[in-house]
Amino acid sequence: MSYLEQNLRTIPSGPRKLLHVNWALVVLTVTVACIGFMMLYSIAGGSLRPWAEPQMRRFAAGFVLMFAVALVPIWLWRNSAALIFGLSLVLLVIVEFFGQVGMGAQRWLDLGFIRLQPSELTKITLVLLLASYYDWLDLDKVSRPLWVLVPLVIILVPVAMVLRQPDLGTALLLLAGGGAMMFLAGVHWLYFAVVIALGSGGVSLILASRGTSWQLLQDYQYRRIDTFLDPSNDPLGAGYHITQSTIALGSGGMTGRGFMQGTQSRLNFLPEKHTDFIFTTLAEEFGFIGGITLLGLYVLIIVFCVVSGLRNRDRFGSLLTLGIATTLFLYFGVNMGMVMGLLPVVGVPLPLVSFGGSAMLVLMLALGLVQSAHIHRPRKVL
Amino acid sequence: MKRIALRPLPRILSARDRGESTAAIERENLRARNDALRERSRMQAESRLLVLGLAFVLLFATVGLRMGTVALADGTEPRASFVPGPAISALRADITDRNGALLATNLVTNAIFAHPPQMIDPERTARELVAIFPDLDEARLLRDFTGDRRFVWLKRRLSPEQVQAVHDIGEPGIAFGAREMRLYPNGRLASHVLGGTRFGTEGVSSAEVIGVAGVELALDEALRDPARMGAPVALSLDLPVQGVVTQVLEGGMRLMNAAGAAAVLMDARTGEIRALVSLPDFDPNDRPRPATTGDPSQSPLFNRAVQGLYELGSTLKTFPIAQALDEGLVRPDSMVNTQTPMQWGRFTIRDFRSLGREASVTDVFARSSNVGTARLALELGAGRQQAFLSDLGLFQPLPLELAEAARARPLLPQRWSEISTITVSYGHGLSISPVHLATAYAAMVNGGTMVTPTLLSRETPPAPGRRVISPATSVQINEMMRRTVTDGTASFAEVPFYSVGAKTGTADKVNPAGGYFRERVIATIATSFPAHDPDYVLVVMLDEPVETSGTEPRRTAGWTAAPVAGEIIRRIAPLLGIEPEIARSSVSALSQRSH
Repeated sequence: MSYLEQNLRTIPSGPRKLLHVNWALVVLTVTVACIGFMMLYSIAGGSLRPWAEPQMRRFAAGFVLMFAVALVPIWLWRNSAALIFGLSLVLLVIVEFFGQVGMGAQRWLDLGFIRLQPSELTKITLVLLLASYYDWLDLDKVSRPLWVLVPLVIILVPVAMVLRQPDLGTALLLLAGGGAMMFLAGVHWLYFAVVIALGSGGVSLILASRGTSWQLLQDYQYRRIDTFLDPSNDPLGAGYHITQSTIALGSGGMTGRGFMQGTQSRLNFLPEKHTDFIFTTLAEEFGFIGGITLLGLYVLIIVFCVVSGLRNRDRFGSLLTLGIATTLFLYFGVNMGMVMGLLPVVGVPLPLVSFGGSAMLVLMLALGLVQSAHIHRPRKVL
Repeated sequence: MKRIALRPLPRILSARDRGESTAAIERENLRARNDALRERSRMQAESRLLVLGLAFVLLFATVGLRMGTVALADGTEPRASFVPGPAISALRADITDRNGALLATNLVTNAIFAHPPQMIDPERTARELVAIFPDLDEARLLRDFTGDRRFVWLKRRLSPEQVQAVHDIGEPGIAFGAREMRLYPNGRLASHVLGGTRFGTEGVSSAEVIGVAGVELALDEALRDPARMGAPVALSLDLPVQGVVTQVLEGGMRLMNAAGAAAVLMDARTGEIRALVSLPDFDPNDRPRPATTGDPSQSPLFNRAVQGLYELGSTLKTFPIAQALDEGLVRPDSMVNTQTPMQWGRFTIRDFRSLGREASVTDVFARSSNVGTARLALELGAGRQQAFLSDLGLFQPLPLELAEAARARPLLPQRWSEISTITVSYGHGLSISPVHLATAYAAMVNGGTMVTPTLLSRETPPAPGRRVISPATSVQINEMMRRTVTDGTASFAEVPFYSVGAKTGTADKVNPAGGYFRERVIATIATSFPAHDPDYVLVVMLDEPVETSGTEPRRTAGWTAAPVAGEIIRRIAPLLGIEPEIARSSVSALSQRSH
């Protein structure tokens, strides 16, 4: 009998659950999504088609999904975590054989009503499984090598499958999200120190090998690194995305050009203007103030998740909420960094705002899990 | 941290010893253990979260900061690093004909240059540039692009197609500098009037256009005057007439095997030049370089109508005859001694074709007697002759709006002896340009007042100039010129339905080595139409013509210049709005008066 089940009596049930939903988080979610609709409307030149309307429908579906997930007791999710993760792995395998290729590399599963990207789903199911694993695992065993190996395998299997697609961006996000989960669960510092040392050592080795007889990467790969470090080296080639989006950001200035007045994005200078680079449109039309506002909204979403996770005395709920908060953070931290030329262009959408079906649904699913953990958190017994 | 065992054995054992229930102790222990575990995990999670939160804050701060620096940076376009220099005003007024048809305008084109430090792919750029401009040298381009030069001129003037092609290379290291180019849409037409331009001070983004010849040079200041606001300068030329004169003169020149030709059509009352042609001509859009060797007068750039100073021969006979009539020395029917050859000191003066012992002044004029004219000139004397010719503007450079006119000062005999008086009277020893001749003839035929030749369109007719002959003398000259066409040397200048007056002149060319060429002549005809009250004076000059349709080559103006002039008048008279004289009443009236 777990601690959680002891406190069953204090946890709301039935329609009363709705009173315990984290409504602030819901309002924030809807606000950010509405900003997304507005931007998609503007990019289409003041038209609901082809982007804003499908996005709204998807958000509505996602909204329902979020509440459905939220009302399911959190222990049900915990107990079926392994099953759900296994299912997402199966989807990854299926997409390997039956998936459709789009955008050069991304793989989709056409389910008729939605084109699902299993790698997106994996980001959440991985967090779910790891939270469940560390809830089950005795705290004393967390840092023992054998018990560290298990989550490592759990993380590396989907990472390897996504890398095969090949989708480096998602693979790195999975790796970072899983690593963050292990870190939060209390795996010893030394493991991370060793991995970070090995990683940075490897990178410097690769860079040091350039031009020598034992060069580790191909020349073109080095050129890509150069371009990332200084996009102006190749303004028409690989640096194009970054240069153009920086121009758009700069042209927005303090207050922006005004709604529907962006030129850089509308004139098709920008690649992926309605998906990965949608933030540039926002920054161009609403300027620094608009960009900072969106950033603030995201910060609030994360803060609400973190606070909810910290106050949750159930280990699974707490880990899950914090893990999802980290994933969210990685999503738009990487997206904004990419748009602003701080990070390489890896193809990560801006959560809730970018046009895209599976990302939206998966995100709403994740927020539903956060809500579920919030609703079903254990209350102190008087 | 204090660890709590799963079962508190010491307490359970002691309780059991005391016989108490152990269940409560176990439950209490379990709760304490769970609390401790939870507390530990929470503390750990919190410390871990602090680290993660720090990472969050760091990344958010970085993103926000970056957003700020990008958004608040001055939105200036990246500028090339070189200094473009002071702005150059490239505004240059258009030039039009009298009716506003465009003769010269500006076209914005581009120059291209390279900034090798900004180049991405010098090899490809050099290769593709050579594909567009085959005259460029790929190896040299590559050397320039890969060396340490920071700036390389590639081309100065590009067509829009070339600009597009260069643009399509997509090389950011190649840049365009807009510049205005002078464009002459009619090509060779009126090339000697317009002259041409070149680039003056040249910057990267603009270039000064300055005139080098013709109207462009003479009116350079006015054309570039910013106060004009680009208002066009209207010339006195009439573009369609200029076109016809050029076309016919070109054909005539070829037909008469001439080395060059010139024609001037002048409004006899205002002095406005309606057409001015010199052949061979050139395209001012692609003005040839002046030849550094050889005879500059053989260059296409040489304006025979203005710069060319020729002994124009018998066409000058009009002046002593008109003066003699005006002074009252003779009347048109007075008989003059025309005995040829005429001996004067060690000189012998001959007529080309003898008129007999004596002939009337009209016949001397119409059949061009050297001897008769010389006798009249001797009657007048050198002083009066010089004064009259000077009044006609034949001793001074033309006050024309052409840069070349001021430098064309007529060549006079060094010492005006009696023989000079004789030779000048029939057109030898005095070298003038065809425009000089046209100007003097305008005064002869327009009622006797001088005109100032001009290439600018006159909005209001000028006040009549100084009187040189009386209106009555002018009428007599018109009659004699008409007689020259009907019964004299210029019969080939007769045009159906239009009455033309004319005076021909054939002069042996001056040999630069001394003396005269035997078989090289300047054939000139000065015509006026309509003959009874001329509106226009047309001077046609052929340089070294030879007409070979007969058994022996003919060079006289009556055989060469006259038919060309006739054909020109036949075609331009309708363009100039002159009514054809179908009834010929005025002509018959004119001829009756002269008989």
